[in-house]
Amino acid sequence: MPETTDATPRGIDPRGPRFGAAITSVLLLGTVLLSLVGLSTARAPIGWFAYAPLADDVYSAAATCTIAYASLAERALDPGFLALLVVALLFLWGVVSPRTAPWGVVYRRFVQPRLAPPTDLEDPRPPRFAQGVGLFVSAVGLALHLAGVPWALPIAAAAAFMAAFLNAVFGLCLGCMLYLLLQRVGLVGRARPNAV
Amino acid sequence: MVNVVDALIVLTALLAVTLGVGGFVQWRQGRPQRQIPNEVVDPQRLGAERLGDTATLLQFSTELCARCPGVHRSLASLAEDREGVLHLDVDLTHRPDIAKHFQILQTPTTLILDGDGTIQTRFGGVPNKHVVELELSRLTGETTRA
Repeated sequence: MPETTDATPRGIDPRGPRFGAAITSVLLLGTVLLSLVGLSTARAPIGWFAYAPLADDVYSAAATCTIAYASLAERALDPGFLALLVVALLFLWGVVSPRTAPWGVVYRRFVQPRLAPPTDLEDPRPPRFAQGVGLFVSAVGLALHLAGVPWALPIAAAAAFMAAFLNAVFGLCLGCMLYLLLQRVGLVGRARPNAV
Repeated sequence: MVNVVDALIVLTALLAVTLGVGGFVQWRQGRPQRQIPNEVVDPQRLGAERLGDTATLLQFSTELCARCPGVHRSLASLAEDREGVLHLDVDLTHRPDIAKHFQILQTPTTLILDGDGTIQTRFGGVPNKHVVELELSRLTGETTRA
C-alpha cells in the first residue's frame, strides 16, 4: 500500500532539494542557450523558400522557420533538444526514485558531511511534486519541438529555469502554489481514501 | 537563427527578470496586508476547539508545501512565548472548501486574529517574524488598554 508509506515519510535535509535545484537551474540555463542558437529558433535564409512573401515579415514568420521543414531526426538531434531531454530524464528520476536521484546522492555524499547537521527535517513530498512539475514543463517543450513548433524549447527551458532558480536562490516553491490552484479547481487532492 | 551574442543577452535578461521576480515576491511575502474584510473566524469550522484569548496565529498549510513546517515552528514558538496567543495550523490538503473561503492561493498563508476572532492581518507566504511580533504586540497592547 503506497498510502501507508506516504503517511509517514522519512524527513530529509531541506538543503538537499535546493542544492539539486541550483544544479538543475545551471543545466537549464545552458539548455536555454543551446536551444536559442539551435534549430528551434532558426529562420531559413532569405530566398530559400521562393514562395514566402518577403515583404510581410510577420505574416511569413511561421513559414520561414527552418524547424517546420526539418525531419524528425533533425529535430531530435538538435543540441538544445538533447540538453532538455537530459534535464527531463533527471526530473523523471527525481519523481520515480528521489532517494537515488543523482544530485541527492552527490549532496548526501559530498556536501552534507561538510555542513552542520540540519536544524530540522522536511517532508520529501513537496520537492518530489516540484520535480513532477519540472518534468511536465520540459516534456511539453520536447513534444512541441518534435511536432515542429518553433521556440518551444527555449520557452519551456526558461520556464523550468525560473522555477528551479527561484527555489534554489529564494526558496520559493512555485509547484506548491500550483498544487493549491489545482486543488481549488478540483483536479488533485480530493479523492484520497485516508482523508482526515 | 539567433546569434550567440543575442542569445547571451536573452539569458542575461532571463536571469535579471527571475531575480527581480524572486526579490519582489520575497519582499511582498514579509509584508502584512491589512485591507481585509472584518470577518470573524469560527474555530469549530476549522476543527479547533477555541481561539487564543488575545490573539490567534492561524496558519494554512498543505502536505506539499516545502516552507510550511518551518513557518509552523517559528509561529509555534512565538505563540508559546506569549500568554493568550494560540497557534493553529490548518491542513488544506483535503479541505479545498476552506481554501476557497479564505481565498488562499499560496501556502503558507497566515492570518492574525484578535481575541474576538476577527481577522486583523494577513501574510501570504513566509511571514517576517519581527513583523508578526509587532502585530502581536499591537493586539496585546490594545487589549490591555481596553
